[in-house]
Amino acid sequence: MVSPKEREVLRAEVRARNNKLSAADREALLKPYLPDPADLTTSRHARGTRKPRKTPIRTFIKSQIHHLTYALTHIIFGIVVRLIQTYHAVVDRVLAIVYHHHRTPELIRKDVRGLKRLPQHLSVILTLRTEDDALAVLMDEVAELAAWCTCAGIGQLSVYEKTGVLKSCIPALHQIITTKLASYYGTPSQQPSLQLYAPHHPIHGTRSNSDNPSLTLLLLSSTDGRETIVDLTKTLAEMSQSGKLSPEDITPELVDAEITEITTHPLQDGDASSGDLLKPEPDLLLVFGPFLKLDGYPPWQIRLTEMYCTGDRSHGLTGYGEAVEYQGFMRGLWHYAGAQMRFGR
Amino acid sequence: MAGSMHLSRLRKWFLASPPIEFAITNLKELLVGALRQGPIPQHVAFVMDGNRRFARSHGIETVEGHNLGFEALARILEVCYKSGVKVVTIYAFSIENFKRSKFEVDALMDMAKVKLSQMAQHGDLLDRYGAKVRVLGRLDLLKPDVLAAVNKAVDLTSRNGDRVLNICFPYTSRDEITSAIRETVDDYSQPLKPANGSRTPFSESHITYNIRAQNLGSKPNDTHSDSGSTSADSSAPEDDSSALRPDHSHRVYESGSSFSSSTTLHLGQQDGHNQKGATQGNISGSEKPVFSSPETISRQTLSDHMLTKGTPPLDMLIRTSGVERLSDFMLWQCHENTEIVFLDVLWPEFDLWHFLPVMLGWQRRISKSRQNPEAEGNFAGDSPESSEEDLDAMVLRQGKVKGI
Repeated sequence: MVSPKEREVLRAEVRARNNKLSAADREALLKPYLPDPADLTTSRHARGTRKPRKTPIRTFIKSQIHHLTYALTHIIFGIVVRLIQTYHAVVDRVLAIVYHHHRTPELIRKDVRGLKRLPQHLSVILTLRTEDDALAVLMDEVAELAAWCTCAGIGQLSVYEKTGVLKSCIPALHQIITTKLASYYGTPSQQPSLQLYAPHHPIHGTRSNSDNPSLTLLLLSSTDGRETIVDLTKTLAEMSQSGKLSPEDITPELVDAEITEITTHPLQDGDASSGDLLKPEPDLLLVFGPFLKLDGYPPWQIRLTEMYCTGDRSHGLTGYGEAVEYQGFMRGLWHYAGAQMRFGR
Repeated sequence: MAGSMHLSRLRKWFLASPPIEFAITNLKELLVGALRQGPIPQHVAFVMDGNRRFARSHGIETVEGHNLGFEALARILEVCYKSGVKVVTIYAFSIENFKRSKFEVDALMDMAKVKLSQMAQHGDLLDRYGAKVRVLGRLDLLKPDVLAAVNKAVDLTSRNGDRVLNICFPYTSRDEITSAIRETVDDYSQPLKPANGSRTPFSESHITYNIRAQNLGSKPNDTHSDSGSTSADSSAPEDDSSALRPDHSHRVYESGSSFSSSTTLHLGQQDGHNQKGATQGNISGSEKPVFSSPETISRQTLSDHMLTKGTPPLDMLIRTSGVERLSDFMLWQCHENTEIVFLDVLWPEFDLWHFLPVMLGWQRRISKSRQNPEAEGNFAGDSPESSEEDLDAMVLRQGKVKGI
């Protein structure tokens, strides 16, 4: 490897010669760092005739040392990771106590008041667990998220869940969310209006009144990702085969318009007036999981989306996928606003 | 302030002193050698972000910052290839970057040209030790001189070994996806060669002919039109249904003839008409262009039209400088099993020391998921059947939830 000193010398030299090194010079500079060509050719061409290795003992020792170092680094790294995890878990618990929503919209509103910016459209990746009551847990998580979003003043929420179970029970989910909102807001008159839908599914819910906050909730699954683009390609290919379209007409704008149309608000009963169209590209993507993996999230829309991963806190006790907790949600919002989380409100 | 200056100078002097330097170099070699012992990602992508900010914060020219960024790239490429990464993809220039100041764009282009032509000058050296260089992106947006340098470098290194360096030059992912769609559509709108009979084993006209013969052989009456159609149905799937389905659908897309479905349905009603229809169908079938069915387009088809075709799936994407966005890079490639890492370090400072924890974390996760496929974050052991079963079980349980 090139040492810093040599690099300095090289840079000085390059500057002195006014950036003009001849090819030969550069080759000369490079030579010491390259393996000896003679070595390479003998090992490549004369494999059968000569001994395979000149220094079997040395290579053996070297590989043993490498194995040892690998094991050692991983042991040390593992310890460090555990320590960091523990630290974060403790911080997390403290934050969970300090920042608790107590199901009061006012408290949540107070928590986000100091933030410089809020995402207009929040997107969340949730994971279906493997336990028996996984679906019930998942729906409860969605309901909680929906409640926090309305309280924080985020009007658009999309929930991605890989398998798409949520899409098959939209009415039940709507019921659960309404119940949850009732437990936050109390009387139905103050409750925010909720619109729940999924691509290729009808809207479930009422249109927004002017005075109450509203929430538009979109359910996504892995079929809205690559599969949608494939479907679009099929349609375009069909059109092109019947001569209705030439391949040159396919531009990013066209694809964007088509893909966007699927996820944005389908018009309800021919009403073209509504202003609560879903913003197609989410501003913030929250991943509740130990590390950032998109897991099949629709690729087209996340071009400029900021991503935040709540991180590995729970020592894998719950399997893949972290519990959706209020402080995780809050940390995401704080991170998006470029602020630090403080202890104490 | 002065104290920290002295300290940093002292630190620099200390690090540059020969024994320490020797030790550090050897330590790096050792660590890279150690990394090799575990699982290694096959394909790593970098977004080299932070050159400008580095230049600004260190009070040097933006161009100089980009130069330092290039050095960091060389450093990290060495680490990657030595530790066994097969493909490295870097985001060098976005189509959006053309909107930057002309001076900077020109300087970047110049730099690319110089570095690429330097590579070309050392063609033989690259042949022996180097990696294949491929440039992904909208090459038509480049100036001719830069394009020439690109082509030369790509040509020279095309015969190199299995290591690949993908340079995304004027690139955005949306553009890539759109181009892939366009190319796929283009492919599918090319009429197939008339010799496609070899591909679809049964000739449709022959089947209709046979059915007609059968019908004629039995009673050519309206009462038997039913049995005729059923025999048409049964004769078709009794052969290979999977082979016949695309055949049928592409006949439908043939659309002009439209005879296939209608004649087989109303078969045996009127012999004269039928015959006429069959001959018409034959003529139109041979004259009309025959396309392959769009239903055969799959995710794989599109993946094969992406610029990264032929490379292993992206295992890891690293973006420096703490910006937590993809910025239109590798959207198609990274949205499934890729681990995305955002590091809060400017690219010119990026080194093995930042890369190592990322790699170790990846290795840890991979070896864990290999030991125990059901555990967290399994990359490899994600069998489709099990997820299907899960889904079924979920749907079954749904009733329970609805009951609540």
